[in-house]
Amino acid sequence: MAFINLNNVTYKYPLTKTPALQNINLQVNEGEFVAIVGPNGAGKSTLCYTLAGFVPHFFKGEISGTVEVAGIDSSKSTLDKWVLNVGLAFQNPFNQISGAKYTVFEEIAFGLENTGVPRDEMKPRVEEAMKLTDISNLADRSPYSLSGGQQQRVALTSILVMRPKLLVLDEPTSQMDPIGTREVFGVIRKMAEGGMTVVMVEHKMEWIANFADRVVALKDGQVLMEGKPNEVLTSELLVENGFGVSRYTSTAREAKKQGLWKKEKLPVTLDEAVEGFKK
Amino acid sequence: MHERLSFFVKRDSALHPLNPLTKIVLALGIILVSIFSPWYWTSHVLLLVVIVPLVFIGKVATEYFTSALRLILPAAGFIFFMQAFFQPIGQTVIFNFWFLDITQESLLFAFRIATRITVMISAFTLFLLTTHPSELMSDLTRRGLPPQFAYVIISTLQILPQMQAKAQTIIAAQRSRGLDTESTFFKRIGSVVPLVSPLVFGSLVEVEERAIAIEARGFTSKKAKTSLYEISDRSSDKFIRWGLVIFVIISIVLKLWLS
Amino acid sequence: MKIEINDLRFIYPTGLEALQGISLIIESGEQVAIVGQNGAGKTTLVRHFNGLLQPTAGSILIGDWDTKITSVAKLASRVGYVFQNPDEQLFSKDVGTEVKFGPRNLGYSKDKTDELVKRALTLTELSDKTETNPYDLSPTWRKMVALASVISMDTPIVIFDEPTTGQDALSIARIAHVIAELRREGKTVVTITHDIDFCAENFERVIALSEGRILLDGVAANIFGQEEVLAQTFVDPPQLTRLGKKLGFKETVRNQEEFLNILRK
Repeated sequence: MAFINLNNVTYKYPLTKTPALQNINLQVNEGEFVAIVGPNGAGKSTLCYTLAGFVPHFFKGEISGTVEVAGIDSSKSTLDKWVLNVGLAFQNPFNQISGAKYTVFEEIAFGLENTGVPRDEMKPRVEEAMKLTDISNLADRSPYSLSGGQQQRVALTSILVMRPKLLVLDEPTSQMDPIGTREVFGVIRKMAEGGMTVVMVEHKMEWIANFADRVVALKDGQVLMEGKPNEVLTSELLVENGFGVSRYTSTAREAKKQGLWKKEKLPVTLDEAVEGFKK
Repeated sequence: MHERLSFFVKRDSALHPLNPLTKIVLALGIILVSIFSPWYWTSHVLLLVVIVPLVFIGKVATEYFTSALRLILPAAGFIFFMQAFFQPIGQTVIFNFWFLDITQESLLFAFRIATRITVMISAFTLFLLTTHPSELMSDLTRRGLPPQFAYVIISTLQILPQMQAKAQTIIAAQRSRGLDTESTFFKRIGSVVPLVSPLVFGSLVEVEERAIAIEARGFTSKKAKTSLYEISDRSSDKFIRWGLVIFVIISIVLKLWLS
Repeated sequence: MKIEINDLRFIYPTGLEALQGISLIIESGEQVAIVGQNGAGKTTLVRHFNGLLQPTAGSILIGDWDTKITSVAKLASRVGYVFQNPDEQLFSKDVGTEVKFGPRNLGYSKDKTDELVKRALTLTELSDKTETNPYDLSPTWRKMVALASVISMDTPIVIFDEPTTGQDALSIARIAHVIAELRREGKTVVTITHDIDFCAENFERVIALSEGRILLDGVAANIFGQEEVLAQTFVDPPQLTRLGKKLGFKETVRNQEEFLNILRK
């Protein structure tokens, strides 16, 4: 059975009229890296909160359908148990700093302290996680003194160190420069290959196409389309629905109309574009 | 950016490795003895014979005397003048100013109060300079303080400077829209809403997101929490704590007995 | 309106030398993008334009006003500044009032204010939302409110600090439309941005900053061609520029139109 199993999930936040998620059906296998794309307001963050247990346990509101991760039904679990399996990092790095710690090293250890990891195990785990995301040099800095991109790496590391089975990421690279983004995507890919399941919301199409196994396109709280990155990200349906696409895709689409792109499939990445445009 | 968010300064001294609780008890002990002791000279003795040497033992002399200049002396000075002018005691007028008489008694009283204030603030400054806030909270949590309570205290200490930075940005944003925050009093009053409401709204969002972030990291986990640092609590710590308790009791007994 | 910067230096109280001698002239009606890695000094530089920061040495002239002797409130009539995070400036109970705040501070007549507000709301596609509380809008639309509330001040110079961060494709297209409209009106636009593709599609002149100094300054096509120099400040050339280069184009291409033109030859 699939590792993540969403069955007909419909959810409405308290005090709102329209549901944020409508009849979502989604199955993800263990070790799969799935990217979620969609315009703002499509329900991407709500989907993340649902997988991470905060919908409905934290936000309340009305939910129907079933949410299952690692064989456990969300409605039959509690948030404090759920977060041991599912890690969540979101967009705003500043608000993810606990405020209880004075150095990056302590900040990353926070989750391990809370979940009762013995002290002699804690230090090597923090060191290993920091090495993975390449922030070992920040260990003694105050988390508040870092740039947005560095803070995002700290937020990601703080979750990775807890070794969740499912990693949920809501635009984790929004404040990183291109080089930082590429590195972080590489780290996440590596985690997935090590068996961690990853669900990630992202706008950066080129990187999704390079690293993700599958793409789910959301619109107005519903799944518009899902499939292989290249299929979904080059689909006409996305353009019609106001999704962002990579410049390679949009330019090749125009080129195809003018007979300058000969291939059947449109490109998403630089390599695919070079391949197709080469004389 | 704010790299240093607490008073704490990391030094290799005899005071730093003491248990945080011992250091709180030390600060409170000094304060209580100075309040309860029946002799007016106790505070002066505490300041010169206990606090100042401890400042040197703790290797925080520079930081202590800087904060003494900035904070302790102005506070003590203010108290001194208020007491000297407005304490209606004694007959021996030394000089008068307008309708206020300064008497020998009020002057002595003011001096005593000011010294006591100096002792109090100094004892706490010494404590803050030599105690890492995270260690303090871990230790108190281990001793049964609810972790939520510890979290609120320590995160407030850290987040206040961030709020201040944010307030600066909001002021900058509104001034860019032509808001006059500098000229007349009425203009300043009028500028309160544009400055305060973004701050309040921003804080609400922040509190919710921060709650999610710490929850995601197992903050409410029912498992027994562990701590990154080992916080020592040696027998010498217990000895010092009990010694201080005895000193405080002696001062209270002396006070009751002699009055 | 012209911006003239002479050997500008700025040192933060912490001792950090954020700007190390910047000299620059931005002509009236120019559209300039400023790029560079975090900490390069981009925001520090533009905060000098409306007097929020005062130079440690050097000077800035906005038209004929020296920012050293002109108040921020007065400079606000020449320089509009859209901050990165809309939540740091929105405070009114409805969008209409929010957008009116700037022109009212500048002391415009009621008629002129109403007209400017209407124009700003139309341009940002907010006309149907004037009665809405800004905090009932999505973050994407709050950004548009922030834009409108600065555009309504009708300043000859407009600064945008990271306008596209966190915005989706439709919102970015709206922002590009606003910038194009400002250009048509002959306004000077200075934008700080990380989004190099957005930069390539909307700006003629690009300035790359690195460690408080100007690394590159010139016509966009020239700047993007210098891949190695750009890399010093962690900026990748735009997607289509990279593609063109890989395909062996002699010219540096910036956008789809230029790319397809070369391909057709």
